[in-house]
Amino acid sequence: MTISKQNITRRTFVDRALKGSLLSLSFKVGGSALLMTPREARAKELPLQHLDADQTGLLERLGEGIVPGSADSGLVHFIDHQFGVEPDDCMLIAKFFQVEPPYKDFYLGGLSAMATAAEQNMGKPIDTLDESELKQFIQQISKPGTMVDGYPLFLFYLCLRSDGVDVVYGTPEGFRKLNVPYMAHILPPEGWNG
Amino acid sequence: MAKILDAVDAVVVGSGAAGSVYASVLAEGGKDVLVLERGGERKLTDLYSSQIWARRLKWGSPHVEEQGPDSIWPNFNAGHGTGGAAMHHFAVWPRYHEEDFLEQTLYKRSLDWPFEYDALRPFYDQVQSDVGMSGDAEQETWRPPGDPYPMPPVLVSNHGRVLAGGFAALNMHTAPIPMAILTETYNGRPPCIWDGWCDAGCPIGALANPLVVYLPRAQQAGARLQSNAHVTRVLTDDSGRHATGVEYFTVDGERVIQPADVVVLCAFTFENVRILLNSRNKNHPDGLGNSSQLLGRFLMCHPSVMVHGMFDEEMENYLGTNGGQLLCQDGYDKQSDPGGAFGSSQWLIGYTVKPNDLLGISMSRPDIFGEELHEFMREGAHHLGSMVAIVEDQPMLENRIELSENTDKFGVPRAKVFYQTSSEGRKLWRTAAAQGVDIMKAAGAREAWHGPQAGQHIMGGTILGEDPSKSVLDAHAQSHDVADLYVGGPSVFPTSSCVNPTFTAHAMAMKSAQHIVENWK
Repeated sequence: MTISKQNITRRTFVDRALKGSLLSLSFKVGGSALLMTPREARAKELPLQHLDADQTGLLERLGEGIVPGSADSGLVHFIDHQFGVEPDDCMLIAKFFQVEPPYKDFYLGGLSAMATAAEQNMGKPIDTLDESELKQFIQQISKPGTMVDGYPLFLFYLCLRSDGVDVVYGTPEGFRKLNVPYMAHILPPEGWNG
Repeated sequence: MAKILDAVDAVVVGSGAAGSVYASVLAEGGKDVLVLERGGERKLTDLYSSQIWARRLKWGSPHVEEQGPDSIWPNFNAGHGTGGAAMHHFAVWPRYHEEDFLEQTLYKRSLDWPFEYDALRPFYDQVQSDVGMSGDAEQETWRPPGDPYPMPPVLVSNHGRVLAGGFAALNMHTAPIPMAILTETYNGRPPCIWDGWCDAGCPIGALANPLVVYLPRAQQAGARLQSNAHVTRVLTDDSGRHATGVEYFTVDGERVIQPADVVVLCAFTFENVRILLNSRNKNHPDGLGNSSQLLGRFLMCHPSVMVHGMFDEEMENYLGTNGGQLLCQDGYDKQSDPGGAFGSSQWLIGYTVKPNDLLGISMSRPDIFGEELHEFMREGAHHLGSMVAIVEDQPMLENRIELSENTDKFGVPRAKVFYQTSSEGRKLWRTAAAQGVDIMKAAGAREAWHGPQAGQHIMGGTILGEDPSKSVLDAHAQSHDVADLYVGGPSVFPTSSCVNPTFTAHAMAMKSAQHIVENWK
């Protein structure tokens, strides 16, 4: 059996016709809901609903160390948005790993455990680590089973890594970077509000 | 005060694989059927092609609490909303083999089903014809007796061809995977285009999910579907010997009583048990249908291992189906494991990989990060080969579902799970992991590795059996203790075999539903 060239061509055409990343979510701005991708939300510096500036900075720093490019792709806006979604409809991979909702608690616990681990292992805060030190630190916490004060740090690493991969590669734009066809039946609607 | 609705002939709890079959057969048998679905209404147009968005199809709440050393991956395996878990299932549909029904009789191990394969075969054949399965029965040299598939097998791309070479080099046989996925137009449904979005839901209906086969038939015959109905209890008469309906809550918290002559629970493994345990009353203080004290027991989950290889060839690993392209059941013989473990195993070969998600390219090497991750992604997108081994788990008394001390938003105790992979399953897993790496190398991989133990498919908890003191349900999936109370889905399985359970769940539901219709009083 061979692949239909017609199908591939049609799908490729649809794919190429796409302009955005089609991870559009509904972000609240001044009491109104605006539809945009996490990347756009981050570029416009839209206010976050659940995370403060310190938490945002820490998540982006770690995200960049694990999946470079994830910060600009809107990693933190994606995560922050999903904190406001009911567990049944949540799109964070933490759901698959049987993390108990609310997922915000898991992420805040993860950031706290990361900060503790950095002080214990590297002797200084994460935001003062240079690139080489950050890489060394991530290598330490990415070992299966890593725990800090009873918190499953390896699981947090897996989730944050997956979130980064989601926003960088999990969209038609991301597929294009890898030169593989997206072949959507139905593209996520831009009107969906999460 | 609860709102009491008009009685129906049958209420079916859950609209997934088993629930949709029950609803269809009962409605077509002339019964007034109401299907109650815990989740929201889901339509084909809601099935977006995206690994991120597909996570909405999976279970999220109420949270299942896990204890014990191993996970059954409740959220990943279960679903919610119209169609349930069958909306995101991969449609890999091998049959159970004859020996899976007779493990106690043949081997003095495990448990027996209350009937043999021949009793289920007509229903496998009927379901196969209804949904339109693809495969090559002659190539499946391990396959038990059954009608040939109605259409040719699924695509084999370079991915499948290259990996098949590894099996051949080790004198192992492969055959096309039997799948509930169309390769030709069938009853107005179009064939698959090999896009690999199966677990995001198949909106064109090439994959036989409930929205395109049995739910439309049920509704055509008059069955009604009520979404957002959180069933909490099965009700009985004063004697406790007959089911009389169910209690459910709407999303607004309104308590509703739905009377029915027959109650069918098809709410997935842990919810079936949770509802029955929560239905305890003066006649059934330990839960409904629990005189054996085995309700919730013999929980099983297939240990599985994903094996990967990096090849020089363009693998076309983005083409095909999530379930794979080829099958190998050379390890099905219960006593063939070189390590001496009891049980069967199978390989699903050449499944599609997307960049992200649990089964995607990135997660095949979770240790890689930084710029090296980008390099790995670029290489893996074209040169990664993947396959998965699924091995048999044993029914163990201590593996169980109980009620938690914590409650959901309606005040109902949540499900609490204790699970540990059987020692036989763990041995079979180790054999498969090592064998898989050998196969990848034999296929020409320049690097080969396997992932950690994972868990697929959740079975047991309301097992079938002849003896009411050793099982929860009879051969027709009716409660030994409570007449007119039936259960559907993999929770009724006394043994796990090593094959994906959805086909058998369909066949078993059809067998029981036809029994209900033929014996209606």
